[in-house]
Amino acid sequence: MLTSLAEGPKHGYAITQDVEQLAGVRLGPGTLYGVLSRLEAKGLIEGLPAEDRRRPYRLTAAGNEALAEQLESVERVARAGLARLRAAGALS
Amino acid sequence: MSRRLARAIVHRLYPRGFRRRYGDELDALLEDAAPGPLAVLDLLRGALVMRVRAPRGLSEELYVGERLRGGVSALLACWVLFCAAAFGFYKDTEGQSSFGDVHRHEILGGAHLVVLGLASLAVLLGAAPLVLAVLGHARRSPGRVRWLTLVPPLAVGAFAVLTDVLALAHAGRPAAQPTVAGRGAFAAWGLAGLACGAVCVVAARSVLYAVPVAGRRLLAAMACGTVVTGAMVAITAAVAVYAIALPADAARPAAAPTGPLQIPTGASLAGELAVMAMCATLAVTSTRRGWRALA
Repeated sequence: MLTSLAEGPKHGYAITQDVEQLAGVRLGPGTLYGVLSRLEAKGLIEGLPAEDRRRPYRLTAAGNEALAEQLESVERVARAGLARLRAAGALS
Repeated sequence: MSRRLARAIVHRLYPRGFRRRYGDELDALLEDAAPGPLAVLDLLRGALVMRVRAPRGLSEELYVGERLRGGVSALLACWVLFCAAAFGFYKDTEGQSSFGDVHRHEILGGAHLVVLGLASLAVLLGAAPLVLAVLGHARRSPGRVRWLTLVPPLAVGAFAVLTDVLALAHAGRPAAQPTVAGRGAFAAWGLAGLACGAVCVVAARSVLYAVPVAGRRLLAAMACGTVVTGAMVAITAAVAVYAIALPADAARPAAAPTGPLQIPTGASLAGELAVMAMCATLAVTSTRRGWRALA
């Protein structure tokens, strides 16, 4: 969800569609707003003024930092995993 | 149909603070994407999660009075379920109490009676001002509140009638091994008791939110609720000690089936303890939330 918001503010429906496109997972409305409320409580995202009842959300500075940290960690693990597979001859 | 059901879940089952903060957006989302059965289930799961583990910031959406009302009604629900668990064990084991041996011990038995008496007094003292406020309001302004005040006595009356009917049907019959019909009747009676308690709690909660109540009365109810919470923790601890000591009790084999449902005493006690521990934990959380509202 943080990755989805990395390209700019989005409201709930747009986040659902983007996450489905990115990760192939369809978020239910309860899950979506459960996560949104927790991310907002942690100060990682913030709501902007609502437009016709649809409130867009954007990453805060702390959210940008947390996302970058997470992605770097995932990248490190992926790189190490691929290197080990190559060393074992499982990858060409 | 799904959309209407989904909206009903959002507006009825999610916590008030969540609805105030995200309700409109969630409504808009349900308009944008027609919810299917999976989305409805997801909303139900989300509502349950929000009830149990809501993010801290959400309570700031509520006024102090609403937070105190939430705390008081949650404590009432915990107490009713707590008592149901204790009474269920008592009936399921044919009159054995999880404090049976405690009563034989002068000091422990006395302490148990003091804790129970204190908790019952706190429930009465805490509820009385609220009940008086609600009855006064209901007398002055007819309508939904008046109907809601009638619901608890009607539910308790219906349960009492059902109990009497079952007792009359059972009277005069020789004590024998429980039959399938007897077990079914006992289980139905237990479920009816739980439904009666749930109806009373929901009606009391709805009335509490619908009627203006002076802040000092809510505060007094919260203070009494804190005493009740302490009693629940003490009783749960005592039941846990009893559950540990049960295998050593030669007079009451833990594995022997007993009561109308023929459940072993140990299993019945474990069930009672699990419900009591859950209620006591929820009560502690509700009490902390209630007092935090004033901070």
